[in-house]
Amino acid sequence: MLLAYRCALTSDRVTATAIEASEFPRLAEEMEVRAVPRIAVDGVPRWDGAVPEAEFLRRVLSATPARG
Amino acid sequence: MALLRAEEQAKVREWFAALERPVELFVALGPEETPRAGSGDVDFGGEMVRVCEALAELGEGVTCRAEEEPEGFPRFPAVSIRPHGRDAGVRYDGLPWGYELGSLVGGIVEAGRAEPTLHPDSRAALAELDRDLALDVFVTPT
Repeated sequence: MLLAYRCALTSDRVTATAIEASEFPRLAEEMEVRAVPRIAVDGVPRWDGAVPEAEFLRRVLSATPARG
Repeated sequence: MALLRAEEQAKVREWFAALERPVELFVALGPEETPRAGSGDVDFGGEMVRVCEALAELGEGVTCRAEEEPEGFPRFPAVSIRPHGRDAGVRYDGLPWGYELGSLVGGIVEAGRAEPTLHPDSRAALAELDRDLALDVFVTPT
């Protein structure tokens, strides 16, 4: 979680939200949360589990923008 | 019931004393989704205020205020962790209990730093970002 927070605190372009899955079961179901942490980028679930900073950045920045 | 054990409180006080800038915990309250069975009859909003006020008591640089249904919050309760009272896009949606309290405390410590702690390469990569990016991290209270 802290890596995501650090990204948001570094760039005004980034927001980072921890979401308590058990309190928001509909969203958790929508995001197919089966394991935590589950990371979603622009509302699209991308991966589960903690990864080192460089890999985190690589995955986040290479995520294809969601269609609006 | 105390939020933290005495030794945990001492540690958090130490971290909060080292904050380089003030951090506001802005609590957003409003209609709550029905949680999963087993959560019991918990007043999540009330607990969120209690948690944030308790944390604010552990450091002069940490303050807490709550509002009913402020704009821009899709879920309640939520807390926005704000360096200098500025919305920096750092949030925790839902009640951070158990192990996850550490994420909120960690977020406060990070927001209280004058300089970002990411590796220079990461900072450089983020500086080149030409679009907005929303990171959601789903967690559970374990």
